[in-house]
Amino acid sequence: MNWNNVKLIFAREMRDQLRDRRTLILIAVVPLLLYPLMGMSIFQLSQFLRHEAAKVQVVGAEELEGHAWLPPLLDGEQFQPILFDNPNERKNLALRGATQKAVDGAEHAEHDPPVGSKTSLEAARKLLAEGDVQVVLYFPEGFGKRLELVRQSLLNRAEPSATPDATELPEPQMFFNSANEKSRIAQLRVERVLRLWRTGVMQTNLRDGNVPLNAARPFELKPQDVAKKRQRHAAVWSKILPFLLFVWALTGAFYPAVDVCAGEKERGTLETLLASPAQRKEIAWGKLLTIMTFSIVTALMNLGSLGVTGKIVLEQLSKVSAFAGQDALSLPPLESLVWLAIALVPVAALFSALCLAFAAFARSTKEGQYYLMPLLVIIMPLMFLTMSPGIELNLGNSLIPITGLVLLLRSAIEGQYMQALPFVLPVVGVTLICCLLAIRWAEEQFNRESVLFRESERLDLGRWFVHLVRDRGNTPTLVQGVLCVAMILIVQFFINLALSARSSGQLDFSFLAQTVFISQVVCIALPAGLMTLLFTRQPRKTLMLDRWPKFSHLAVAALLAIFIFPLGAQFSQWVQQLYPFTPEVSAQVTAFSETMAQSPRWWLPYLLMAVLPAVCEEIAFRGFILSGFRHMGHKWWAIGFSAVAFGMAHFFLQQKISAAALGMVIGLLAVQTGSLVPCMLFHALYNGLTLATGDLAGQFKEDALANSFWEMFLVADGSGMFQTWVLVVCLLGAGVLLGWLHRLPYLPTDEERLQEVRERQLAGA
Amino acid sequence: MIEARALTKAYADLRRGQFIALDGLSFSAQSGEIFGLLGPNGAGKTTALRILSTVLQPTSGSATVNGFDCVTQPDMVRHHIGFMSANTAVYDRMTAWEMVEFFGRLYGMEQEQLQERMELLFERLQMQNIRDLLGAKMSTGMKQKVSIARAIVHDPPVLIFDEATSGLDVLVARALLDTVAELRDQGKCIVFSTHIMREAERLCDRLAIVHEGKILAEGTIDQLQQEHGKKDLEDLFFDLIRNQDTTAAIH
Repeated sequence: MNWNNVKLIFAREMRDQLRDRRTLILIAVVPLLLYPLMGMSIFQLSQFLRHEAAKVQVVGAEELEGHAWLPPLLDGEQFQPILFDNPNERKNLALRGATQKAVDGAEHAEHDPPVGSKTSLEAARKLLAEGDVQVVLYFPEGFGKRLELVRQSLLNRAEPSATPDATELPEPQMFFNSANEKSRIAQLRVERVLRLWRTGVMQTNLRDGNVPLNAARPFELKPQDVAKKRQRHAAVWSKILPFLLFVWALTGAFYPAVDVCAGEKERGTLETLLASPAQRKEIAWGKLLTIMTFSIVTALMNLGSLGVTGKIVLEQLSKVSAFAGQDALSLPPLESLVWLAIALVPVAALFSALCLAFAAFARSTKEGQYYLMPLLVIIMPLMFLTMSPGIELNLGNSLIPITGLVLLLRSAIEGQYMQALPFVLPVVGVTLICCLLAIRWAEEQFNRESVLFRESERLDLGRWFVHLVRDRGNTPTLVQGVLCVAMILIVQFFINLALSARSSGQLDFSFLAQTVFISQVVCIALPAGLMTLLFTRQPRKTLMLDRWPKFSHLAVAALLAIFIFPLGAQFSQWVQQLYPFTPEVSAQVTAFSETMAQSPRWWLPYLLMAVLPAVCEEIAFRGFILSGFRHMGHKWWAIGFSAVAFGMAHFFLQQKISAAALGMVIGLLAVQTGSLVPCMLFHALYNGLTLATGDLAGQFKEDALANSFWEMFLVADGSGMFQTWVLVVCLLGAGVLLGWLHRLPYLPTDEERLQEVRERQLAGA
Repeated sequence: MIEARALTKAYADLRRGQFIALDGLSFSAQSGEIFGLLGPNGAGKTTALRILSTVLQPTSGSATVNGFDCVTQPDMVRHHIGFMSANTAVYDRMTAWEMVEFFGRLYGMEQEQLQERMELLFERLQMQNIRDLLGAKMSTGMKQKVSIARAIVHDPPVLIFDEATSGLDVLVARALLDTVAELRDQGKCIVFSTHIMREAERLCDRLAIVHEGKILAEGTIDQLQQEHGKKDLEDLFFDLIRNQDTTAAIH
């Protein structure tokens, strides 16, 4: 690749974009105007909020009068200031009917009937129902007496019989409307005021009755927040900022991507560029760097503008009493911005590559715009996942693309560097792999004629199907390979749903056998087999069953299975340590193997779990799917993707990972030997060994094999793991066999041959 | 200079099934000559020339340009050709000067040499007045001039013009044809596709009549006239195509 050309294309695209009004509006004008506008409206709103106090209708205020000892509750048209934690909150509650004056006032005559009577309570409740007041606070007749009696019983506690029982007398009542947000909040506030007042009343009584105050309150509970102010701010921002920044990075990448790809096709300049000496790869990289620049700049501009606006607005808001004293409303710490900027680069690269690939596929800018939705559908859940409560950075989460990065970023912003440190490597690794894959995919789009010169054709499913069958090739195409994977996964999903609905909870062997048979034959072999017959001219070549394998190939496959098996078992265990089974899954797995053990014949489990999958899964994954994937022109990519597909078809996450690793080995076996039979042999042997070791491990658990011959190979704890020396020998053996396989001359596809010739010539030049 | 051997290109087409755009097309062209591909719309001219310019890959067959293979050495081929077609537009948000400079630099020209060459081209093609005009503001004729300058800025030995005159008015088309003739006189190897008889007659040293992906006749205009006993190229063209269609119908 000539980086000079990449630089030239990058410079040209940048200039082109900067001359485009739409792009400038998106990256510069929108952030510069949007946030000040938003800030302004929040500020306006807050001024509006300032005058909005909830109205509380007090009925029966006179019950509180005439008790000189009673701590005051009401103070004119407000509650007493002492009854608020924050005195500024006092004006949020406005009282009506608290003083005689208000009742006598001519303007209130209509709404406020004389207080203290039954009718006045009804009138007040009517006001509440109409929304004129938010809370009605009712002190019924006799409440004053109740207060007096409670006090008397304390003061005269030497002779309890002298004071009548106060519990018969009425208590205050509060009415509110929970369907109304404002009423609900006002109710909470009034309740808090009343609690404080009640405490005041109690304390006065205790003091006057010569009882120490702590008799009623033996201890105080004061929760201490150990988080420093900085950390509290960081905790809030660490959730919001990564999310916002990544959304900006995505939108910042998307629109330029559509313009530099689909737009170029639309304006007819793409062919000009394709006929120039710039290689497709250089064109893709030049465009990618442009999109990435815009993605980063858009995110930073938004962040900057939001920061400046936020600072001004927050300063203003903190002067407004309604928001005063609230911790969350302050600017994020400066270090967090540094971490965001660092994380932005790989994220922008990933999003840009994805956008580029999608946009390259579009015929026109209009079509390109439609692709934002699927892109969001892919990326958003990964970001939302981090918002779910309780999710935290661990090895499992760190391996999920984007989610891991967001979680790592959150830890860094919160200042938990030591906790985050072990996960830096996996997160960076996964992010880089995703970036490379996405970039590779985007490059691939620029190498495909069918993408670059797509013509609009009427969508007609029937015609398309006829075309697939009528114009089928010798072996399946790449797209048909992908389709087969999708087909298998979909059929599997629905059959599993149906099977789990049928199961009565109690597993028995025949049900299990049916389940295994259906999931292998119907879900896996049938779709692949049908597609082979329908969509290919040479079904036997597609399934690599057109020639009988050499004996040496079969021997190597069998030996390889024996050598790989202990390594695979060890690998599976590592995977299970990394992602432990949940208790439910563990129970399912145990139930499965216990039911298998009830088999009426010893060989039945081997037939069901070893031979059947070896035939069905190989026909699908190394047969149809790998044959399709090999039209990519890269042997290793084909093997890798077929292995991933093989992994995806397994049930639990832990199985998926182990199966994908194994899929790489079988894929290599398939390509190098050019036959499916060695793959089936390997697969059957491997699964058979798994079953046999499971049996042995079971016998170890029951101590049936203590001090036996098997202890030389297996760890005696019944885990089914192998002794270290076995692992070392197997590693060496497998290495030698794989090396031998790798050196075998294999039959390349046309695409692979062309790619090889090109690479040779490039190396020669 | 240009050698196409049994080029075949098949597209998947939902309606027609496998659509054969090129069916074993072979021809060659030498330095100092204009080779014409004459054929109706959809004859496969554009596909053939796209293969020569390495934008498309043939389904089978091979082609070499200046000794380089179009499939395995596409980069070398692109360095040695200038390609211009009705589909190779100019950038809207770039001036004429910037556009030609950009492609000159992609061809790997040194700055000094490029400046010199561009001054010469802008002078010769009378483009000095549109030097700083953005592509979006240019007329069709101006755009065509920029396209020519872009295609020949690196002084390639081989030039490919695909329906280059389509959509041009008579004056601009005439100017373009003159430029092509001049380039031939400079010793370039030129392939020129068109569906307009007059242009082919006026310009081409040799030509091939293409229909449905096949060459129906090939030779100098004189040879063709003698062989088929028609004086007028247009009559000759119609006869050939009608014969071909009748044969196809019988089979």
